[in-house]
Amino acid sequence: MEKICSALEPIFPCRESAINTLAELIGDSREAYPAAIHLFGHSGTGKTALTKAFFKQCQRQQHVRIAQLNAIECYTTKILLEYVLDALAPSQDEGDAVRADNMLEFVEKLRQWHDQNDGDGDSQAFLIAVDNAERLRDMDANVLPVLLRLQQLTSLNLCVVLLSQLPFEKFYNKTGLSEVISLHLPQYNKAETQRILSTDFAHTRNHYLDKFSGHHERLEICKEALTEDFYGNYLNLFLSVFYKACRDVPELRLTARKCFDIYMEPVLDGSVEATDISRLWRHIAGPLRSALTQIYMRIDKHSFEAGDGGGGSSALEDQSVRKLAQSLELPYYGKYLLIAAFLASYNSAKQDKRLFVKHHGKQRKRMQTVNAKAKTSDKMSTALGPKSFSIDRLLAIFYAILEEKVGLTCNLLSQISTLVHLKLLSFVSGEQNIMDGSARLQCTVGLEFVLYIGKVVGFNVRQYLCDFM
Amino acid sequence: SRLAEGTPRRSIQLSNIVEQRVFQDDEIISTPKRARSKKTTTAEEDKEYTPKKTPTRSRRLSTASAAAPATPTPLTPSQKLKKIRAGEISPTMEQRKTDTANPDKGRKSQLQLAREQLHVSVVPQSLPCREKEFDNIYNFLEGKIQDQCGGCMYVSGVPGTGKTATVSGVIRTLQGMTRQRKLPEFEFLEINGMRLTEPRQAYVQIYKQLTGKTVSWEQAHTLLEKRFTTPAPRRITTVLLVDELDILCNRRQDVVYNLLDWPTKSAARLVVITIANTMDLPERLLMGKVTSRLGLTRLTFQPYTHKQLQEIVSARLGLAGSEAFKGEAVQLVARKVAAVSGDARRALDICRRATEIAKDCVTMLHVQQALAEMIASAKVQAIKNCSRLEQIFLQAVAAEVTRTGVEETTFMGVYQQLETIAAIMGVSTLPPPGRALRLCSKLGAERLLISEPSRHDLYQKILLNVSTDDIHYALRVEQPMTTT
Repeated sequence: MEKICSALEPIFPCRESAINTLAELIGDSREAYPAAIHLFGHSGTGKTALTKAFFKQCQRQQHVRIAQLNAIECYTTKILLEYVLDALAPSQDEGDAVRADNMLEFVEKLRQWHDQNDGDGDSQAFLIAVDNAERLRDMDANVLPVLLRLQQLTSLNLCVVLLSQLPFEKFYNKTGLSEVISLHLPQYNKAETQRILSTDFAHTRNHYLDKFSGHHERLEICKEALTEDFYGNYLNLFLSVFYKACRDVPELRLTARKCFDIYMEPVLDGSVEATDISRLWRHIAGPLRSALTQIYMRIDKHSFEAGDGGGGSSALEDQSVRKLAQSLELPYYGKYLLIAAFLASYNSAKQDKRLFVKHHGKQRKRMQTVNAKAKTSDKMSTALGPKSFSIDRLLAIFYAILEEKVGLTCNLLSQISTLVHLKLLSFVSGEQNIMDGSARLQCTVGLEFVLYIGKVVGFNVRQYLCDFM
Repeated sequence: SRLAEGTPRRSIQLSNIVEQRVFQDDEIISTPKRARSKKTTTAEEDKEYTPKKTPTRSRRLSTASAAAPATPTPLTPSQKLKKIRAGEISPTMEQRKTDTANPDKGRKSQLQLAREQLHVSVVPQSLPCREKEFDNIYNFLEGKIQDQCGGCMYVSGVPGTGKTATVSGVIRTLQGMTRQRKLPEFEFLEINGMRLTEPRQAYVQIYKQLTGKTVSWEQAHTLLEKRFTTPAPRRITTVLLVDELDILCNRRQDVVYNLLDWPTKSAARLVVITIANTMDLPERLLMGKVTSRLGLTRLTFQPYTHKQLQEIVSARLGLAGSEAFKGEAVQLVARKVAAVSGDARRALDICRRATEIAKDCVTMLHVQQALAEMIASAKVQAIKNCSRLEQIFLQAVAAEVTRTGVEETTFMGVYQQLETIAAIMGVSTLPPPGRALRLCSKLGAERLLISEPSRHDLYQKILLNVSTDDIHYALRVEQPMTTT
């Protein structure tokens, strides 16, 4: 047990207490395991990695068989059972002969191993880890209850570890579950995160020394400037920007490595001293903020640098929408159909007469309409989400906003269905009876996108939106 | 409506096995039904099969042959299966190793004798209080057999009113008559809807009882069709007993239709007696053409009155049990059971339980204890034995129901009530919602509440499965105890 702890603690800094608890529960295979452990915490807190490493150590040091599986991969119970059996099979010669059609056969197989076990003096122990355990609730109703008391059913020294992002109170079913030991992995605080990220230092330093091995003067600067303090300062600056938005360690590590290049650049150039932190901050602040907008997006380096020139975040977002709109080449009428669909989604049908009919008579100004017009931003229909519309209304608006009169050909109708295929429109209801007119559609693109398309075809969309009148 | 889907299949066979294992063979006064049911079961195919020497159906003989050494060369599984399907080897049960465990009757106490007599499976030769029904069925069957024509009868009644026992008693009497050559010979077949995995397996079972062979249902259907539609000389009358008719009704009702259509054929000479629980089953569930073939010959078994139940129990006890049971004890059982269901099995079971409680003679007190065990609601006890927080949770659900007036509450509202009640009671540590969900799930598993899976946490719907009065009663009575 102590050996396992001492082997794991260097790999998982700031997880000493969790490793200790886990080792107390399942550290020694000669002692009885608890029936089930539920290990939960946010994504990026090291549940899977910790369990994996822990199991590996157990297997290496003790007489333990381990099985690690992901519940997402098991879309039927049989896959789950056979995977576990395969992983736990005591001898390799059984190989592909392991079969279990249902839970009963699975338990029966495990019990047979128990009988074999009795022959040996050294008793064997088993550990099963189920990642994404919240999926177990969606499988057959007997999977979770049986897994939680598998120890009791098989009479083996066996422990099932469930890994999940949810607390166990989300797991209870209608018929009750047996006891489980819950273990929480809390998110790292700022100091811990910095400590974990600083384990990267050696790697980064080696990387730079390799990179500039041909470049003599840069290598010198590198050797001199790239100290642990320097890297620590960088991480401090980095976290002051990022920690508010993201505490996911793998994500932070990726971004920190990327941004360190930019941070190092002026130092390597010789324009800024390595000790002058405030000047370095001025250099890095902009790129860091722009990188913040791209977190979780995992865009490759190319576009990351291209987006760098954009500066502010709003410009960047705009650009991505424009890029999307540019990359999507629609035919002329298709664009108009999309605009018409957008207008149908975000204008109420009551306003159609006023908006699209040429001679709709005089509108009387009443106090009611004046009040209704005084909208606050949260009442704007563009902020409330799209409403549904029928295909007839879509075509009517299309003909109203299109100046020329074009025939209603099958090409035009097939463009509607193409827009649906491209997921620019979607069916809300009545997918089966499109032809009899009861099908309802919805427009799924945003305002910027439509504004851009309107600009391309020379049509002012804002003019036809009730929100902007 | 109760249709064939999802019926419990094996339960009857299982209880059969249990009974037969618990009781030694010679103690059972076996009805033809029980004896035959051994052959119809296919569940224990894994058991030892021994070749049958004689084609007789007597159980005593087949068990005797089980003791005899088997064929010298062991069969491969497929050979064995082939023989089983051809009906060449009969299914036998494992015998007790120490057979001498059964002592002679003299050493048994009065109470033990009474207990054995009171067992539900010990059907008496003649059922008390069912003489009229017996005559009715007897006249019908005798007439049909004498006339050598076909016909149908529908017998209904709530469970435990002696339907199957009476019918099989009539059949036994008629079989005795044929042995004395007072009546033309007839063949007796019997199927039970509950023992079939699906309605069409009825053909397989009927054919199996005719020839002993197991074939697919399509084949069995064709062969039966051929048998019943083509006239053959020296065809004897066949009496077919169909128990649990409502299970055989599927959407198409083809099986029920065939079973009731064959009697109308002149070549068939088939008499079908159908048994079910509901009186209006033909009108409620069956199609018009099926109802019309079922005919109007019907018989309804009324639930037993307390006098009849008393008579049944005392007839069971006979001379031997007169000392084992007090007269008023039997009367109490009879009155209690007759008030609820009129089920004879229930009365017998309660009497048996009372004999188990009693030491030498069953008195009123023993019967009362047995009644409390088998009839009393355990919910109040369950609420009393809940933990403190679970009790508060139940109170909170009840309070939320009274507040909103709607039966269905959400967890959120219940939790607010829980906070209030806990504050009033001065419970220092209120459980966080996560723990409260656990309480809720535990109560739901015990069926004191009806709740959804807890993944809907705050929005899960909760119904109270006990009455609010039960909660108040259970907790009010207990409160003085906790304060003292």
